[in-house]
Amino acid sequence: MQWTLGKRLVSEDEIIKDQGLFLDYDEIARKGSMTAEEKNISKWYGIYTSRQPGNHMARIVIPGGVLTSSQARRIAKVAEDYAQGKLAITTRQCVQLHWLKIPSLADMVRSLAEDSISTFHGCGDVTRNVAGCPLAETCQFRRFNVLPHVKETARLLTEARDLDNLPRKFKITFSGCGAGCAQPFINCIGIVAVQRKTPLGDDEFGFKVMIGGGMGWAPFIGQELFSFVPPEKMARVNRAIAQLFRDYGERRDRSFARLKFVVHRRGIEECRRIVLKFLQDEGVDVDDLETEDFEETGVDYPDRPLLEQNPVGTDGKVTVRAMVPKGELTHLAFKRMAEISEIYGNKRVYLTNRQNIEIHGVKPGKVDEASAEIRQIGFDTDGFFGLRDIVPCVGTTYCPKAVTETRSLYDLLMPVVSQSKYREIWDKALINITGCPNSCSPYRIADIGFRGMRIRETVGSTEAYEMRIGGKHDRLGSKLGEFKKEDCAPALERILDTFLDLRRGDETLADCAERLGL
Amino acid sequence: MENNNHLNPFLKAIEDLGVSYEMAPNPQETSVFLGVGAEPLDFKTFLKDIPCQDACPAKTNVPAYIEAIAQGDPDKAYLINQEDNVFSGVLGRVCSRPCEDACRHNWTGTAGPVHICHLKRSASDYKENPPKPLPSWFEDTAKKVAVIGGGPAGLTAARELRRYGHGVTIFERDSVLGGMMVQGIPVFRLPRETVEAEVKAIVDSGIEVKCNTGVDAALMERIMQDYDAVLVAVGAVNPSNLKLPGLPGDGHTIPGLKFMYDYNMGLIGDMKGQNVIIVGGGFTAVDCARSCARAAKRLVGAEGTVTIMYRRTEAQMSADPDEINQMRLEEIEVETLMNPLSARTENGKLVAVTFQRNALDEEQSEGGKPRIHAIPGTEEEYPCDLLIMAIGQTRQLSILPQGVSQTEGHHTTHENIFVAGDFNYGSFDVITAVNDGKEVADKIDAHLMGRVRRKKHIAISFMDTNGETGRVRDHDIQFPVQMPKLPLPERDGTAEVELGHTADGTHIHATRCYFCHYKFEIDQDACIHCDWCIGVAPRDCINRVSRLFHDDDGVVTSSLEANLAEETTYIWIDSDECVRCGKCLRVCPTAAITMRKMEMCSCSTAELEEKQKDNVPYGAFKYEKFK
Repeated sequence: MQWTLGKRLVSEDEIIKDQGLFLDYDEIARKGSMTAEEKNISKWYGIYTSRQPGNHMARIVIPGGVLTSSQARRIAKVAEDYAQGKLAITTRQCVQLHWLKIPSLADMVRSLAEDSISTFHGCGDVTRNVAGCPLAETCQFRRFNVLPHVKETARLLTEARDLDNLPRKFKITFSGCGAGCAQPFINCIGIVAVQRKTPLGDDEFGFKVMIGGGMGWAPFIGQELFSFVPPEKMARVNRAIAQLFRDYGERRDRSFARLKFVVHRRGIEECRRIVLKFLQDEGVDVDDLETEDFEETGVDYPDRPLLEQNPVGTDGKVTVRAMVPKGELTHLAFKRMAEISEIYGNKRVYLTNRQNIEIHGVKPGKVDEASAEIRQIGFDTDGFFGLRDIVPCVGTTYCPKAVTETRSLYDLLMPVVSQSKYREIWDKALINITGCPNSCSPYRIADIGFRGMRIRETVGSTEAYEMRIGGKHDRLGSKLGEFKKEDCAPALERILDTFLDLRRGDETLADCAERLGL
Repeated sequence: MENNNHLNPFLKAIEDLGVSYEMAPNPQETSVFLGVGAEPLDFKTFLKDIPCQDACPAKTNVPAYIEAIAQGDPDKAYLINQEDNVFSGVLGRVCSRPCEDACRHNWTGTAGPVHICHLKRSASDYKENPPKPLPSWFEDTAKKVAVIGGGPAGLTAARELRRYGHGVTIFERDSVLGGMMVQGIPVFRLPRETVEAEVKAIVDSGIEVKCNTGVDAALMERIMQDYDAVLVAVGAVNPSNLKLPGLPGDGHTIPGLKFMYDYNMGLIGDMKGQNVIIVGGGFTAVDCARSCARAAKRLVGAEGTVTIMYRRTEAQMSADPDEINQMRLEEIEVETLMNPLSARTENGKLVAVTFQRNALDEEQSEGGKPRIHAIPGTEEEYPCDLLIMAIGQTRQLSILPQGVSQTEGHHTTHENIFVAGDFNYGSFDVITAVNDGKEVADKIDAHLMGRVRRKKHIAISFMDTNGETGRVRDHDIQFPVQMPKLPLPERDGTAEVELGHTADGTHIHATRCYFCHYKFEIDQDACIHCDWCIGVAPRDCINRVSRLFHDDDGVVTSSLEANLAEETTYIWIDSDECVRCGKCLRVCPTAAITMRKMEMCSCSTAELEEKQKDNVPYGAFKYEKFK
């Protein structure tokens, strides 16, 4: 070991990564187990070890959360064949399969590939699934359709072998307007479509780019890198930002190895200079990347377009939403959703970052019929967007990092928020529950957020949650207190009652808390 | 109402809920979080955490000086040593190293302790500036102290008394200062320039020295009149003797210390071809043997033998295994379990000594060494031209004035007369003498000034380095290189045998140190039991614990491990296992883990009170890992 000491400037993970990022799951199946190094590299293939020994989790990459119905059917089949028939929707619009066994990993990957979907780069130190507004294509508030850009960025960065080894994960999201349904302020890159008038009076479209946001143990709100980027250059700009992260990110200490720390340490100006340099080096003309503020035009958007029930799209067709409790469903339900999209919708299944499923393109006259079909599966279709759509992470049910069983808090809170007295504020607050400070369910940007912890007792300790209120997509909530699990429901009730009393007009809980100075 | 958190209706609603929990206390390992701690808890935690410093009689700040060496600053390391143990160049060569026996590397691992002693020498070897006198603590007091005896204890006491502001005069019987350091230790183990430089740094602080001044009753009388206090530190120089039947008069047996004195003063001539037997197993016996081997030209293959005869086994000898190894190389026989019975002479000249074999008993004698008994019928005769008796020394108590005798500790029946060093407790090692010199200086100052003017405390500072101590886990498993030694043919009577660690060797040994003065601690009120620290822990250093057990001063003595999350009251860092890698701090998502530095310092009582005003108690400090 002596000889390595002089040059040791990187974490152990970096040494493993340097040894190569290739895995053969057939060979692993024959061998029957993975070494520690293989488990680490396996993340690049979207496969993680689970809390339960011998089981694995696979995360299927779905750019923008849009699946064709045949892809959805394929996922349902894979879940049935290899994952005990269960699947889960994530807050970044992926699908996770738990309960995978080592011998079936290779077959699972092959089966998915038949419908052009994969788990590749589902986890690991790479660009993760590129997220976007689920309503991107037809939302009436959107500036323009960002879905093609989601797919272009996903393709460019996933195919770039020089971006395979980033310091850590790298997350990109696209929003169609400033409402921030896709949470642009808490991603490494948050991209928001903007619209303005040229001096000649024409409409001009582009993107505003924020970088350096993030949750986790050190939350940051993203800072504006460019105020206007022409849409055709967006993917190249994303690539340059990834290069910035690759070359300037922390590689010694993984807890600081995120783009948010690069931005915080170097400052946004320095980061912009480096990004421009990378772009110029690759022959991209950067003259039309702007940093000056300008007056935005375009239709006004509400605070939370996602909370609207059965929104009508720009094509005159309706979106029907299905609330998937805890984001968990069976392969039968998922397959049925694919069928419903084939019968009533545009033959696509849309996954949202609130772990729900949408069917787009339903003719107005068929909405009731489609909704009834969805309710038949057991999913709610109306009156749930908001308060009752609690988003928990998987918690100790599967996750090795989690501290608490978030699903059981979900069960405790659900009766509280379902009370009829809260009917009028059902769409005024969002609740997120996360099992650890990693904030897979981003609790700091929800109106009400719970984060798992343990509180010590005289001897031993018990599950508890830190409670925050007042977060929204560009603002972090404030801490209210720490409560043992059984005290969370009464505390939530107090907060909701207070909100009922004090709210003004249409304001959300976050706005109310902000107005009252919290 | 707006912008006032106390009156915020949401906070008020939560307050009205009236939730409060009964919790186990948040354990605190020091009396203050930051600042200066002077409670028993602070000292106990400190010494428990840093066993080498606890083991050092002079309480040398071992981790701090090793850290300075690891950071490439030998001058700083030397200064730390000079402050704590006065003769660091000397001790870096000849110390008895109780610290290394206590080093935490002995608890686990097989590569042995950090070479604490030799690192001290490296600091001395690689420093750029010669040793300088240390600054005084107080203004001159116009009090005068006489120190009788210029050995390690006397010199140390003189330096400290001078820093207290007193006038000091050293009376030395010999022509040079240094005591046993120059008279007893052979020059091939301790070059005289090293001693001279360090003695000079003491004398230069303004101490009057009277060499060649043996103190007799008359002089003592005068000293008693002229000085406010007298420190007697004349060592233990009366050789113990063993009467063997058959021994002729003088000339053929010689006390070990006398032999060493003559050898060091160049009075020993050529001993070529002689058979020498040294009786004894202490430092002196070994030094005599190695000196004889040189004087008798054994190292270049001359005839004759040099043999150590010791009544117990090698395990009980004062020499360390490395030195015993060197003796083997130098063709010195070590015969153990041997007891001299009688001598035989021919023509008035010693020719042989008869030894009888011993056997070890299981029970221990008072000194902690096993008892022995002779085995009858095992007598054997060994040829011998010169017999050296190195079986210890006793104190010459007659130097104290008539009617004065030693009482408790450093005191005597005369309130102005103090004793220190070997003269206080009998023949022992340099580091203990240094510590005794420091202690007696404190007592003399308190006696002269009527109050304690300096106090020890634990200084606790916050380290905002994201858990970086400069060491990684790989540093623990380095191969500890041995110190280069002089080749056998070049070992004449004076050339130093141990050459000191190379720069690379020094770095390896310095980075092996765990830097135990850093304390990683979890704030239990901020901990959420996510266990991520346990996940990255390099060894069994962080545990789930259901109960902690404290002693009366609040020091955690043991813990009860928990298996389940429900049983876990605390996530607990075991400082005894912690290798100060900082991984836990870096991974902690709630910044519950902090890194602090603990150092034992002393300062004037007034300064201490001033510092205590800035103390930060537990709970008042919130670590923000990322601002």
